[in-house]
Amino acid sequence: MVLLQPDPFLNELTSMFERSTGTGSVWVTLKRSSLKSKAQRNKMKTAEQPIEYRCLVRATNGKKTISTSVGAKDHQRFQASYATILKAHMTALKKRERKDRKKAAEDKKEGGSKKPKRA
Amino acid sequence: MVYVTSWDEFVERTVQLFRASPESTRYCMKYRHCDGKLVLKVTDNKECLKFKTDQAQEAKKMEKLNNIFFTLMARGPDVDMSEITGKEQIESQPAKKGRGRKQ
Repeated sequence: MVLLQPDPFLNELTSMFERSTGTGSVWVTLKRSSLKSKAQRNKMKTAEQPIEYRCLVRATNGKKTISTSVGAKDHQRFQASYATILKAHMTALKKRERKDRKKAAEDKKEGGSKKPKRA
Repeated sequence: MVYVTSWDEFVERTVQLFRASPESTRYCMKYRHCDGKLVLKVTDNKECLKFKTDQAQEAKKMEKLNNIFFTLMARGPDVDMSEITGKEQIESQPAKKGRGRKQ
């Protein structure tokens, strides 16, 4: 597990998506975390220190795992870049059903026009 | 574990799950390019909610859920959600005005 800065993480995530086009999957997990061990957290609780939580982002392709943490200040910038990467790489998903319906309707029309010709 | 079929129900239940146990809830996305499939999972290790799709349209909705979870997780579960929805309103308002002028 490699903890990266947000920008190198996004670059690495991009190449993960690029490498998994033929076969394999990509997992991305978001979790609220203090990035501290339970013992450390308990110590801080007893000392009544405030615990700072960040958003831990982990990504894996089944072989390699990368991670980064995003704080309250920089999450908006990160989520915008993350959304751009997803948009650019989730190209295998089906487009709107409407197009399919149109195609289906056209096929039916063609089929309908063919029938009278045959008759 | 059952897949949630309605997107709105999935969003509502996952946010509720996170608010109930913010420190143990994780939000996981799995994308499989070769099959063109997208699976979203939110779990607190007791309850598990999953959503599966192969539609590009649902991926756009997922972007909004990503934003919700980034905000909730980075800023805390008590964050004012109207901040997120507020932006959308601001974005949609000028569009409405534009339509009005055209007419």
